[in-house]
Amino acid sequence: MASLSLRSPALKSTAIIVAALVVAFLLLGFPQFMNAMTLGAIYALIALGYTMVYGIIELINFAHGDVFMVGAFASLWILTTPLGLLDRPINDPIQLTGTLVIVVVPVMIFMGILGVVIERFAYRPLRHAPRLAPLITAIGVSFILQNIIQVLFGPSPHPTPQIFPKFDLLTIGSFNLFGLDVAGGTARGLNVTMIVVALALMGILQLFVGRTRLGRAMRSTAQDREAASLMGVDINQTIAITFFIAAALAGAGGMIYGLYFGSVQFNLGFYTGLKAFTAAVLGGIGNTVGAAVGGFVIAFIEVAAAQAGYNRWSEVAVFTVLILVLVFRPSGLFGQALGERA
Amino acid sequence: MKLARIGVLGVSAALVFAACSNSSPGSSSGAGASGGAGKVIKIGTELPMSGGETANGVPTQNGVKLAIDQANAQNLLPGWTLQLNGQDDAVNGVHDAGQGGKNMTSLVNDPMVVGEVGPFNSGVAQVEIPIANAAGLLMCSPANTNTGLTYPPDAKQYRTTNPTKISYVRLAAPDSIQGPAGADYVYNDLGAKSVYILDDTETFGVGVGDSFQAEFVKDGGQVVKRDSAPKSTTDYTPLFTAVASMHPAAVYLAGTTPTGMGLALKQGRTVSGFETIPFMGPDGVADLGDGNTQGSTINIAGQAAANVSGTVAGIHDIPDAAKFQTDYKAAFGADPGAYSAIAYACAQVIIQGIKAAVAAGTTDYAGIREAVRAGATAAGNKFDTIIGSVSFDVNGDTTSPYMSFYKTDLTLNNGVGGWTWVKQQAFTDPNASATLAP
Repeated sequence: MASLSLRSPALKSTAIIVAALVVAFLLLGFPQFMNAMTLGAIYALIALGYTMVYGIIELINFAHGDVFMVGAFASLWILTTPLGLLDRPINDPIQLTGTLVIVVVPVMIFMGILGVVIERFAYRPLRHAPRLAPLITAIGVSFILQNIIQVLFGPSPHPTPQIFPKFDLLTIGSFNLFGLDVAGGTARGLNVTMIVVALALMGILQLFVGRTRLGRAMRSTAQDREAASLMGVDINQTIAITFFIAAALAGAGGMIYGLYFGSVQFNLGFYTGLKAFTAAVLGGIGNTVGAAVGGFVIAFIEVAAAQAGYNRWSEVAVFTVLILVLVFRPSGLFGQALGERA
Repeated sequence: MKLARIGVLGVSAALVFAACSNSSPGSSSGAGASGGAGKVIKIGTELPMSGGETANGVPTQNGVKLAIDQANAQNLLPGWTLQLNGQDDAVNGVHDAGQGGKNMTSLVNDPMVVGEVGPFNSGVAQVEIPIANAAGLLMCSPANTNTGLTYPPDAKQYRTTNPTKISYVRLAAPDSIQGPAGADYVYNDLGAKSVYILDDTETFGVGVGDSFQAEFVKDGGQVVKRDSAPKSTTDYTPLFTAVASMHPAAVYLAGTTPTGMGLALKQGRTVSGFETIPFMGPDGVADLGDGNTQGSTINIAGQAAANVSGTVAGIHDIPDAAKFQTDYKAAFGADPGAYSAIAYACAQVIIQGIKAAVAAGTTDYAGIREAVRAGATAAGNKFDTIIGSVSFDVNGDTTSPYMSFYKTDLTLNNGVGGWTWVKQQAFTDPNASATLAP
């Protein structure tokens, strides 16, 4: 929850991130850059949930990947059942925006409530139990969510209606920079919209945590629960709000996942959750900026592997980078030393 | 706590459903017997029946059910009642070799099972053939196409217990035919001279991809790139984006839809350059399921399924197609799948084996099981089936392999989409000259 100050360390991090993005753009070319940004946005939205929960109660919430999966199914249900949309593009931009809002707002609220319910019944009774107990409960919650969805929707993959028309937003021509050929191309409206929605949500989260009373309560609870409670912070309420936000972000991630990848299945939370958890650890678990950056780093590694023709090695590359980072920076890219608490 | 209890209920309910769907076929087919309460004898099936595999396994098992019901109704085996022992190897909606091995063990341990139809996937067959070989139970696969399952150099490792006893035969044409047939179709019929090949890293996908690639290059075509994506892949867009600048004229999806090829088709179509070019796939993609069949290629890919062609490693134009179509539809309320008729033929091979054994005076289950196994590959033994007269060579391959070609048509079934038959082609047994592996 820390490292939210906009002073010089933040400025330095920003400069590093921008430089890394420019290098990635030049090496991968524009179309792959957009692919990686979209994938990274999805990983980042989920990784934020892992890192926020860890930051505040030091719990690796293994159910979070499945919370995300439920979000993907909730979006699918709204798109197909009340809205009755088919696999056809919606060409009117206002209608399209309206549809997205009608899907994402209820999904985020519903998922937030689900997150609070999970915290209330599965984690709060074990808050003072040994660390292992809530971890096992989290795995249990993960299975429960998977099985509920499997009973409700069945084990088949479900196609998500592709409602985005093929409108092109931004074209960058190919160019040559110091002998390096940089591939140009056209960004799809779908990619641009998804990246903008994800970055906007992450920005709102940063402002919320850094600038509001509730955000301050979250940060103080993360630092020292007893002291915060002595200062009048309602610990239960603060933790519940953290779970609400984490699950709501996962819900938005679920909607983006369905619209972008076009298919959802009851067990998608496992792989995607694992990648997002890796992203959170890579960025420094407990740190929100780190989690977002970690998500993008993993997406860029995967896309670069596909571009280079080594797609089947992409997971090896991702976890090699994770191991290297943890060997040389045990607390992750942006993490602070957590001492004996970790 | 309450949540947890509901979850447990959900799990147990799911288990009960699974148990019901497995056991019901046996009882229903037994009830259809007209020859009175004879001695029960069983044919096993080992197929992926649930989730994304529904379009593969269910119509195939229905072919076997129909054969059993009709044999009972015609009293083909006087004094005996045929029943089905149906097993499902799909785990979380995708075929699973480990589950297949467990199912095969339970089939060989059921003494009344004297023959088995399946499995569907080559990777599952690799695990099951050694188990059936050790127990001397005949497996007849309507759909396995991996060349090494029967062909001597590789097949040896599956027959270690009884190297000279063939317990695995198949009516599907091997990938040494399917891959090249697909390559020739892309090169000649579709007129595409360059292709991008994507495989799913599985036994079947890599094998058919390799044989496709070799033939396409031999034809004079250019393979612009070959990629592999495991079934855990969720994002195929970067793979297609990386190939876009090479401008392939077609794409070959070497794999099956449950292992990701349907999703690859759907996402690949969104990348510029791939919107309208032909996609081609083996029988794992050409599942012949319509757009309403859960988990079928057209169901997953939606509008992206336009202009997709595929091969099916079996005969389409069977001698009495209309009667089979009518009987199947009357029994199951749907059109037959790609391998329904071939599975029916596999069941006929087993039933005729039982009949011959009983006629020769064998009455114990172990004796009938061995007679069915030995009879399948015995020299000069021919079986009269719904797909014509069939026989097997010394390695268990069909001596009359066929390849059928299909194409998607999204206007079929009131706009839901379906597959139309293009043509079929007869081949000669590629392994006929091969001798049995020592």
